[in-house]
Amino acid sequence: MTKRGTAQRILHDVKNRGLTAWLLSAILTAFYLVLYFTGLLDAPARAIGLDGKWTLYGLLYTLAVACGGVWVSFKYRHNRYQILRTAVVVFIQSTFAFSIPQLLKFFQQPEYYFSYFWPLKLEYLTPSYIFALPLPYVLYSFVGSLLLAPLLALVFGKRWYCSWVCGCGGLANTFGEPWRHLSNKSGAAWKFEQLAIHTVLGVALALTALLFVSWGFGNGNPQLARAAAQFQFFYGLVVASLLSGVVGVGLYPLGGTRLWCRFFCPMAAMLGLVQKLGRFRIAVKKNMCISCGLCSKYCEMGIDVRAYAQAGTSFTRASCVGCGLCAEVCPRGVLRLENRGALVRIQGH
Amino acid sequence: MHYVIVGNGVAGITAAFTLRQRDRHARITVIGGESDYFFSRTALMYAYMDRLTLRDMEPFERKTYAQRSIALVRGWAVDLDAARRLLRLATGQELLYDKLLLATGSVPHRAPWPGLDAVREGLVHFVSLEHLAECERLTPSTRQAVVAGGGLIGLELVECLRHHGVEVDFLVRESWYWPVALAAEEGAMIAEHVRAHGVRIHCGHQVSAATADQAGRISAVTTAAGLRLPCQMLGVCIGVRPAVDWLRKVTTPPAIGRGVETGDSFQTSLPGVYAAGDCAEFVRPDGSRLLEQIWYSAKRQGEQAAAAMLGDAVAYRPPLFFNSAKFFDIEYTTVGDAAMLSRDGVRTFYHRLPGRNASIRMVERHGAVTGFNMLGSRWDHTLLERWIDERKPMDEAMRHLHLAQFDGEFGRARLDGARAAYFQNPPECRR
Repeated sequence: MTKRGTAQRILHDVKNRGLTAWLLSAILTAFYLVLYFTGLLDAPARAIGLDGKWTLYGLLYTLAVACGGVWVSFKYRHNRYQILRTAVVVFIQSTFAFSIPQLLKFFQQPEYYFSYFWPLKLEYLTPSYIFALPLPYVLYSFVGSLLLAPLLALVFGKRWYCSWVCGCGGLANTFGEPWRHLSNKSGAAWKFEQLAIHTVLGVALALTALLFVSWGFGNGNPQLARAAAQFQFFYGLVVASLLSGVVGVGLYPLGGTRLWCRFFCPMAAMLGLVQKLGRFRIAVKKNMCISCGLCSKYCEMGIDVRAYAQAGTSFTRASCVGCGLCAEVCPRGVLRLENRGALVRIQGH
Repeated sequence: MHYVIVGNGVAGITAAFTLRQRDRHARITVIGGESDYFFSRTALMYAYMDRLTLRDMEPFERKTYAQRSIALVRGWAVDLDAARRLLRLATGQELLYDKLLLATGSVPHRAPWPGLDAVREGLVHFVSLEHLAECERLTPSTRQAVVAGGGLIGLELVECLRHHGVEVDFLVRESWYWPVALAAEEGAMIAEHVRAHGVRIHCGHQVSAATADQAGRISAVTTAAGLRLPCQMLGVCIGVRPAVDWLRKVTTPPAIGRGVETGDSFQTSLPGVYAAGDCAEFVRPDGSRLLEQIWYSAKRQGEQAAAAMLGDAVAYRPPLFFNSAKFFDIEYTTVGDAAMLSRDGVRTFYHRLPGRNASIRMVERHGAVTGFNMLGSRWDHTLLERWIDERKPMDEAMRHLHLAQFDGEFGRARLDGARAAYFQNPPECRR
């Protein structure tokens, strides 16, 4: 039952797919369409002394993460995991994902985002792009994407990236907090998720391979080079623009906050597979669940956590980004995030 | 084989799933009067506070029942004829069963106070969907409410009312909150916390009379100690009793005490009729009786009753007691027997953890730890249970206590202060 008062009614409406939610979703979607496909935002950006629409977007994005972060830290002030995680996410967004690239640009360096890796940012292993950068950037990109990211996911789960570093996750867990419960929990959605996200991962891998081949042999084979370029353009349009921006954020108020992360992000797909082999798990206390459903409801990845909790089975799901909200909202303290899944599996208890 | 289960609560549904797991071909029918689908009764308060929708309270996807070929029938059972193995619903529908499970749950105790005859509106309970709807209907026109009953459901209702900005007077008959489970120190800590949430808690007060306004809406409650509390809602949360009234009037009534009397194998006095969950009262050969009325026991009994119906030799013995709750923001875990502190040979250790609304209590009797009452931090009850089973001395439990902590990362409660207090000044034995 909604609280009394007009403000509360509107708040309920915007958080629960009411008219205001549709309106907000339309505004967000329109914003992304304008941002990606027109130059309309360049003028206001220059008017406030920025060099273009993308810097303006970075600024707005960082502000959204910071303001949302303050709110979320207050809301979960009794939970140190949430406070730390939020502080780190806001810090990374405002430095590595915003001010440092701007500074690099200012000092005539490449505009490099140290908080992003391949295959989320496909350029960072696209030979024609990355090999044009100075050697330290090349090393960072290769080591970070191929070694560091999977290794950390093996030890801590994909949460180290998806919930502590990544800007997409950062926005979802701060600005997107009011809509986290809208994720679809059905078995059908889970099936679609597995199909969709691994398809995108497959396409991203294929494209990267093609770009390497084209970089190596494209000179003598203009048809190959053209095909690779077309494929790259198409991927950029569909995956990077439409799915991550327009769908990913535009539909926050209708489909929940992690649509991109859950269904389409190739990085999440890759780290998810690593996570299944690694140490991260959600431990479930036996026989203590009361099946209330708060854990499932507030899982932004649409995992039916309650199914595991009421069965008393500890689990690792590839999609889990380890935001820790299931454990936070559980009124009986049944759930705990742990980095000891593999140990337990080996020891058998 | 046709299994019919009366009641689609946690006992009934758990039984249905267990039956299906073991018997792929039997016909299974579950009768539910309150709702179309099984829902989590423990989540009622979260629906009231807008954290869940009614649909969110359903622990299984609706298609699960069809997938497992479990037929759900909406309706109230009104007659049982064990001679003809026939169950009749209020709709007139008749079902023939081979084995029948009664899992009808509980209903709230009715308030016995004078003046309630004149009250036609404003008196609420809080254990069913119907009650939830009634509470939600009345809340907008309620500025002040009185909740009577110092137990768990009472406090849940208090929290919901506070959430909606209602002023609440909370009447606890005993001298501190929930003495059945909590000692005085814990009761005081909860009372302090509840007060911080704007609740006026009155311990040692019970309702003596209620008054209604001219329209029949409750207008005030008077306590035995003379307090007069104006209110537009009165929550009556003074416990529940087995929902067995309908069974007294059927063609072949089973033996009924407080609940449907059953043996250790869930068999009632009627052939082919079993009972489980809140409505079942076990009668032991030695004459002792057992009535368990919490979520965990209903789930456990549903599972074992199904095994009994399948022909297993079941002798139901409840495991070591454990329970959990949440009082506003304070989580509660209890294992074993931690409230009976006045018996001979009992040593008890209580410590309020610094910097948070949290405390630990350990109880030892005759050199073996018997119970834990933990507030405000999270504990792995399975390990605490094991220590009690192993009859560990309290000293050892204190030394190993950190192993049973279940707090989230970065949020582990510090136990060094408790340990220092314990070993510097060991608790004494009561004689």
